[in-house]
Amino acid sequence: MTTWLANFYQRNGTALSIFLLLSVLFWVFILIILPQLFMMDFSFRHNLTPAEIGGAKDVYTLENYKYMLYGSAQAAGDYNTVDLTVFARTLIAAIFVTLFDLAICYPIAFYLAHSAYGGAARLMVLSLIVPFWVNEILRAFAFRIMFGASGVINDFLIWVGILDQPYDFIRNDIALYAGLGYAFILLMIFPIYNTVESLDRNQIEAARDLGSPWWRIHWRVVIPYAKPGITSGCTMVFMLTAGALAAPQILGGPSSLWFTQIIYQWFNTGNNWPQGSAYAIILLATCIAFVLIMMKVFKVKLGEIAR
Amino acid sequence: MRSETFLKISVGAFVAAFFAYLFGPLIIMSLTAFNSSQFPRVTPWECFSVEWFDVLINDAKLMNGLRNSLVIGFGVILIAVPMGMAGALMLTQVGHRVRPWYYTIVISPILVPGVVLGISTLIFWDRMGRMFNAGYDSIFYDGIFLTILGQATFISAYAMLVFIARLQRFDPAQEEAALDLGATHVQTFRKILLPFMKPAIGSAAVLAFLASFENYNTTVFTILSSETLTTVLASKVRYGINPSISALAVIIVSLTLVGAVVYEILKRREQRAEREFELVARGKLERRRKQVPLFLDPSMIVALLVFIAGTGTVYFAGTIGLEECKAAVLSEKRAKTERAIKERQAKEMFRQAAPTTPDPYAPAAGAAPKVEAKGTEGYKSIFDPGNLQGQVEGELPPEQQKEIEAKGTEGYKSIFDPGNLKGQVGTEEKKP
Repeated sequence: MTTWLANFYQRNGTALSIFLLLSVLFWVFILIILPQLFMMDFSFRHNLTPAEIGGAKDVYTLENYKYMLYGSAQAAGDYNTVDLTVFARTLIAAIFVTLFDLAICYPIAFYLAHSAYGGAARLMVLSLIVPFWVNEILRAFAFRIMFGASGVINDFLIWVGILDQPYDFIRNDIALYAGLGYAFILLMIFPIYNTVESLDRNQIEAARDLGSPWWRIHWRVVIPYAKPGITSGCTMVFMLTAGALAAPQILGGPSSLWFTQIIYQWFNTGNNWPQGSAYAIILLATCIAFVLIMMKVFKVKLGEIAR
Repeated sequence: MRSETFLKISVGAFVAAFFAYLFGPLIIMSLTAFNSSQFPRVTPWECFSVEWFDVLINDAKLMNGLRNSLVIGFGVILIAVPMGMAGALMLTQVGHRVRPWYYTIVISPILVPGVVLGISTLIFWDRMGRMFNAGYDSIFYDGIFLTILGQATFISAYAMLVFIARLQRFDPAQEEAALDLGATHVQTFRKILLPFMKPAIGSAAVLAFLASFENYNTTVFTILSSETLTTVLASKVRYGINPSISALAVIIVSLTLVGAVVYEILKRREQRAEREFELVARGKLERRRKQVPLFLDPSMIVALLVFIAGTGTVYFAGTIGLEECKAAVLSEKRAKTERAIKERQAKEMFRQAAPTTPDPYAPAAGAAPKVEAKGTEGYKSIFDPGNLQGQVEGELPPEQQKEIEAKGTEGYKSIFDPGNLKGQVGTEEKKP
């Protein structure tokens, strides 16, 4: 360690050494590690008034985590079905949104990488990026306009004659899923595009010459090759969908909640920060577990996912 | 052969459908900004109008949020870009055994949900404030300060990825040569590495600003009692919507488009310069032509003219004859409402029963429990917090909404607007 520091100092000189060390230490400890540890610590505490902090009541407890499982002591029933259902529903919905994105993005990524050329390809890439820079809230708002009771889609379906009165897309969460799928398309396309693009066209040609139909070329040649990109895209989309807050708040039906919304309520209306921290830790742990599983199952490295 | 054409057609259809999904919502949202209807919609189209842009500019809350967003954006650039660069440089220098750990830690903020980052920042600085016995007006409870730090946590990682990509093309021999020739470390850094990193610094700064500007998940926790553009927008959208939000969307979409066009022009100029450089190197061209400055570039001028002409046309089309058109629509609506009332009266005389049509006052009544629930914190734990949500955040049932929209009399409408309650509810909602 000391030799490393000496070398480091030798290599960079005083000013640069201090700048590098201070910035990195500040980032790693003050911004990343300590806040997470404090949140963890906070989640094991009772919800106390400022006056009580540091007093006799300020002891560690598992109460906040128990609440997630069993609900409050007064509540009937064995398990906290409301929160557990929301949690499970969020994860399942996030998986379906991820699969939906994969299904629509893979063909587009392949098309961009191997069928579109020159100016057209560049225009397509540019037009993929443009919607992504429009605010998340505004994108959700756009879906709310489209799927509203007097929105374009309802008007169109009535005009065509499929419906005779407006269908409530928002109450039935269709608007939510469409909006969530829309929000993270880009994060699915680019990792896949980057890997598929580096695939040698000759491999596809060879498979075709040997008589493989197009779907088998994809199944046996392209998809195995693009696996790191697909894993990366799926992980990012899943994490962002499960952790989304804006779209569920704006597009979510009145009877359905997203797990992040419950966390948000503990902090705002519920005014119980330790409880909210415990829920945030649960979300964080789920996400870490998901990443680890993806890394194990598909044998990719972390560096390949976060790119 | 026929199956191949079939495949081609279906691929084309798929690509078209995909881009319709991508742009359809944005286009429809943009169109609603120009409809004079009180509710953002395309059908029925009333009058082509630009008045929603006026409403937008006169919205003090939004403008205040915009100002805060800009301050935060620049603050994030100032912190995240140097920090990301330091992180990238450090990665090249740490020992090979520490390296994977270090990389995992600094890359993790990208994968951690934004909500979690916001909460941990909030709690950490709250505890720090407690530790130093700081008051609520100190920096530990300053929403803008906390937001800058919370956003910088993960935006630095974005910046770092940009710098890493650039550093991979750096030849360390250049640095060694400079040191051998007697340059100091600081000089080497300033004269060799920094100029090499310059394009990356530019793109990292743009990326940092955009990421900060549109962030919601982290900001909503760290902003405390202040507001940014996204948090104002979110509360507006949740509690009753009007087309001025679409007007903001039009502005943002056009700025993004302008940015994309400028980027494309810059890229083309770069390519042209490279081509000429190659020609010079091969001796086919005597020397490179001087590039005209960007704002004199022909494609830039064309783009600028198109933009000005487009904005001007839209502006005049949206102001001239607007009043007459609105008056016409209003009287038409009145006639329609009167007809409807007469029909209903006739029906009621016929039936003599209690009206089964939904009561337009219902939304106001539906929102009331929320206000009440706020005051009675003690009761709360009995109910799950989720119970309350449906009543306020949910959209009105379609029949009621239709009923409200059908009312021709504009003045009434705001009475039923659930957004009205926000004034009462919103003040209590934020933390100190």
